[in-house]
Amino acid sequence: MDLINVEDLTFQNHTKSMWSKSKMTFNLGPISFNFKAGETLAIVGNNSSGKSLLAKLLVGLETPKSGKIYMNGLELNKSNISNRCHDIRMIFQDSNESLNPGLTLGSILEEPLRHNTKLNAQQRKSLIEHTLRQVGLMAEHQFFYRHMLSDGQRQRIALARALILNPKVIVADEPFAALDPSVRSQAVNLLMKLQRDLGLGVIFISHNLGIVRHISDKVIIMRDGKVVESGKTDVIFNWPKDEYTKKLVESHQSLINRQIN
Amino acid sequence: MILLDIKNLTLEIDISAGWVKALDKINMVIHEGQIHALVGESGSGKSLIVKAIVGALPHRWRITADRMTWKGQNLLTMSAKSRRRLIRKDISVIFQNPLESLDPLLTLGQQLKEMLPRDKVSKTWFWQRSDEKQSLAIKLLHRVGIKNHQLCLTSYPHQISNDVVQKFMIAMALASEPKLIIADDPTRGMEVTSKTQILNLLNKVNQVKSMSVLFVSHDLLAISNMASYMTVLYCGQTVESGELKQLRKRAFHPYTQALLNSAPSFRKDLPPKSPLSSLDGTIPTLHHLPIGCRLGPRCPRARRDCVVTPQIRRVHTHFYSCHFPLHWDVK
Amino acid sequence: MSQSNLYQEEHHPSPLQYTWMAFKSNHIAIAGLFCFTFFLVITIFCPLLAPFDPNMQQVGDLLIPPAWDPNGGITHLFGTDALGRDLLSRIIYGCRMTFGISLLLVLVAMLLGVSLGALAGMSKGFRSSFLNHTLDSIQAIPTLLTAIIIIAILGPGLVNSMWAIALALIPQFVHQTRDLVRHELSKEYIMAAKLDGASQLHIFVRSILPNMVEMLVVQATLALSVSILDISALGFLKLGAQAPSSELGAMLLEGIEVAYMAPWTIALPGGALFMMMISINLVGDGLRSALRNRLLHS
Repeated sequence: MDLINVEDLTFQNHTKSMWSKSKMTFNLGPISFNFKAGETLAIVGNNSSGKSLLAKLLVGLETPKSGKIYMNGLELNKSNISNRCHDIRMIFQDSNESLNPGLTLGSILEEPLRHNTKLNAQQRKSLIEHTLRQVGLMAEHQFFYRHMLSDGQRQRIALARALILNPKVIVADEPFAALDPSVRSQAVNLLMKLQRDLGLGVIFISHNLGIVRHISDKVIIMRDGKVVESGKTDVIFNWPKDEYTKKLVESHQSLINRQIN
Repeated sequence: MILLDIKNLTLEIDISAGWVKALDKINMVIHEGQIHALVGESGSGKSLIVKAIVGALPHRWRITADRMTWKGQNLLTMSAKSRRRLIRKDISVIFQNPLESLDPLLTLGQQLKEMLPRDKVSKTWFWQRSDEKQSLAIKLLHRVGIKNHQLCLTSYPHQISNDVVQKFMIAMALASEPKLIIADDPTRGMEVTSKTQILNLLNKVNQVKSMSVLFVSHDLLAISNMASYMTVLYCGQTVESGELKQLRKRAFHPYTQALLNSAPSFRKDLPPKSPLSSLDGTIPTLHHLPIGCRLGPRCPRARRDCVVTPQIRRVHTHFYSCHFPLHWDVK
Repeated sequence: MSQSNLYQEEHHPSPLQYTWMAFKSNHIAIAGLFCFTFFLVITIFCPLLAPFDPNMQQVGDLLIPPAWDPNGGITHLFGTDALGRDLLSRIIYGCRMTFGISLLLVLVAMLLGVSLGALAGMSKGFRSSFLNHTLDSIQAIPTLLTAIIIIAILGPGLVNSMWAIALALIPQFVHQTRDLVRHELSKEYIMAAKLDGASQLHIFVRSILPNMVEMLVVQATLALSVSILDISALGFLKLGAQAPSSELGAMLLEGIEVAYMAPWTIALPGGALFMMMISINLVGDGLRSALRNRLLHS
């Protein structure tokens, strides 16, 4: 059975400027896709294509105008929002901004546990330490503050915060963009290892087509709020059908082929 | 002809724990017409080198070098005024985030016209001058591929999309017809189509006008499309430098090898979803720099000798500094 | 809270420890802190310290000069006032009144102001902006004047002056809190907290308050110095504490009539007020600089 099944999701964003009479609407969708547990879905598109908006819709930060999202057959809507934040967790783009500077990392990780589980303080502490070790940090890091970490470590904390509730799906908004190559490979390896161990479904947004091609099973290409093409990774990269997809793949290929060899 | 010759450049920075060597014996040589890549991760000191060349470092910091010359003239002993004049004439810099390096209060047209050097404008009467500046500006914009010059010249930086602004920065850099363009990670965070456009542009500028480009980045895919020569930097030390072809075929330093392995697009034979090879550990902070070869704690081939900074050795044009380089295994 | 010892030679202090270290290195601020603690001790242990009852009038001992004057004696260290009351005890009780009441008022104003500001900041729309604009316009009037206006409505007296000053102090807390809450709500970590399922109250208490500490401390010290001045001023103007209560401002008013004969009846209460203000300002200043880099140091 599909882990996530999205049918005809649409969203409308009105921005009204005070001085002009016209309203600028951004129409997203209709979007449909599905994928199974253990698979990775990549969302690719230019800057105003609505990728981050789609991520927010999936996680529940915005409500769609129409359409349904199913997880394991169960429909997600306003009534089971607590289920949702348990099972679909998000990693934000800027790992620095998404951590509260005034709290220790242990408190940051404890927040989701307090609101969503009934564990007592001792159990929470041991779960936090276990999760820190899972992402490659140490138990002592729970006493650190945000400014004491490097950006690779901050990315790991963001991942730990996503994992601590044992979710089924992780939505990551450009998780590797701000990282250096060596730290990036470590982060990619970590994500893939955790996906294998825990059977997670991963949806990630990225510009880096090399990484997309390497780790994703399915790809969605978006442009100006519409899905331009979607399907399996190797099908899209080898036989792109749409104009925009062809342009993207060709630019990426030309970069690879044209290397001064 | 050698344009920029840097030998044993050392930069000491004053932090709370004392003075540390942020740059430790950097060597770099840029020839005319060459596209030179400076590769290094964050914390390696790439931006510090750019600032040292341009002369934008705080005066408190100590800079020493055996040799730091531009076309034979010693940059360290020059007066500040003559250095500024030299930089204005011969070197241009393109920075990472174009919106941060442009004045938000002036239109793009005003900033571009400010950059035009005085000797380009040949007419003497001031009413003819502004017309000539306008036509020069339009010509520059067409050269970098911005077709809609009217919109571009009259808008403010925040109203134009990011890749057009980056092209505009290149136009500003070209305005003074420099001999060297230093591009500090210009394509960071861009999507693929705009990245290829910027890289093509820099390539064209290099080939047509024979301008050297110092491309500072850690995006190996972009670099391998442009550069012919590469210098690899780790934590303030140059670990390897040589022609890109040779480095890719056979890297001598373990760090270079690890860096080249980290981009999945380089290895065509990688099965999907397999782990990428990576070095353990993270880049040390300025407070905890290792003694000797700074890759020591992370290097899989490190041994006791690595607490002494290795000397530079060379094989033809390929320079490296490592006690146990990769090509010694074969013997 | 154990700090890790990953790097033996480096110690990562928590923000609280770092603030204390930065504050300690500022010697003037430490001197101010000593003064402040001294006044705090006087406020708390006042009945044990005062040698006489402040309201006891000894008719035979009118206007005795303080101990360092050749005519004064050791019994009355600071001398006596025009009604024969021991000045030292009056000043000690006066410090308690002025300082203690000001502390109480600042706490009350802070609680009310922060809650109103938080409500205003976290709600959207007409309600919050109405509150904001009204309170901002009240802030344009000096607090003393606002207090006098409120006393004109309620009538003079110590309790009424306390209400007046507390009400006059609230707007600045509301304004600052609302600004800060608005600013924080747009940050990504608040979005993350919302995703974790936190309610509005939880978000405020656990995610926003730790970042508000600096602003609150700065505002509280400012408000404290303002309230001390206002209480004494109202006492001096006979609108606040009335005679025969031993409030410092009221003492100053009484001393004016005998100023030429007995300058110590003005100088000593005035000096006590002066020391209080200096100590609060020094501590506030020191805290402000120490807190500035609380979360940014490396």
